[in-house]
Amino acid sequence: MRFSGTIDYSTVVKPVMSTTMPEAKRRVMSLYKAWFRAIPTIMDKFDISVSEKDCRVKIREKFEMNRNVSDIRTIDLLVMKGQMELVETLRLFKTKSHVMAFFRDSVPEKPKDFLSKFLDGQ
Amino acid sequence: MLGRLARVALVARQAPLNRGAQAPALGRLLSTDAPSAPTIRRPDAPVRQQLTDVGKYAAACLPRFVQKVQLTAGDELELLIAPEGVIPVIAFLRDNHMTQFHSLADIAGVDVPARKYRFEIVYNLLSIRYNSRIRVRTYTDELTPIDSICEIFKGANWYEREIWDMFGVMFHDHPDLRRILTDYGFEGHPQRKDFPLSGYVEVRYDDALRRVVVEPLELAQEFRKFDLKTPWEVFPNFRSSEEVPIGNLDSPQGKIEEPKK
Repeated sequence: MRFSGTIDYSTVVKPVMSTTMPEAKRRVMSLYKAWFRAIPTIMDKFDISVSEKDCRVKIREKFEMNRNVSDIRTIDLLVMKGQMELVETLRLFKTKSHVMAFFRDSVPEKPKDFLSKFLDGQ
Repeated sequence: MLGRLARVALVARQAPLNRGAQAPALGRLLSTDAPSAPTIRRPDAPVRQQLTDVGKYAAACLPRFVQKVQLTAGDELELLIAPEGVIPVIAFLRDNHMTQFHSLADIAGVDVPARKYRFEIVYNLLSIRYNSRIRVRTYTDELTPIDSICEIFKGANWYEREIWDMFGVMFHDHPDLRRILTDYGFEGHPQRKDFPLSGYVEVRYDDALRRVVVEPLELAQEFRKFDLKTPWEVFPNFRSSEEVPIGNLDSPQGKIEEPKK
């Protein structure tokens, strides 16, 4: 583990707070790119039944979920949590089931229209 | 401590002689009427004086950060400081010749959701040179990071990770702030008061997928106010006192209603 010098976001999580919105945006973009660069490694290290494209779509979806967050401190918190997830994945602290938990493939879709709600028993 | 134990033993031996041999010795020890019985630990006056001096000295040296100095439970010195003063205060207490708190015993967190700054961070320090302890308390909310004291005490690293994991308090410039107690994939911070007892997700083995799956948990029951009153008409004069107010005591809903005649 490195404690000094340049920070490698794939090995340690060092929380650094942004002061301006462009700075926070830059951190989000660098995290986004770090996740994209990690996709081949994740595909290689974990025996997961999804394609690289699925991973890209899922990462994009996870980032889009927080598109409307405008508070800098909240953005920093979310970036930090994203870094933690990335480190846990790349250092193989997570297992296959933890990585697949991102995809929520075992959770059935909630019924939306009346008939399927009725058939679901609600 | 050894001296206190010896004193207890001495009192236990003398007690039957003073009061007659019928009553058991333990009962004599725990009785409150005898002032010599050491049932309550009384703080030592010189120790109190010494701690008061240390507190006053620290407050005089760091007037910008120390908001309050108090002695709790008789002889436990507490410094209540502003969150931006964590590093100066801890560094002062460690490095000053008159304090020398060289040992970090623990860092703890407290969550009080009703407060504006809901989290309290408590640093417990020990001075081996002066045989005394000090507690430094500061406060923060969910989003404001506290300065990490890893540069001052290397041992703070895992304590701060623990507080991050349990309460979700961020530590600015921590060398490696990650989860430490909860499982990978765990959601939420369990020591927060608003964390449900069941957690947010449930984990089970799925036979079809042949792996462990994590699923969002549907809480089976919403929060409800239980009616603890008996349905029978008994003692109507005492009925108002049986009502248990839930929620804010100042709000009209939480007020205890007078029974209608």
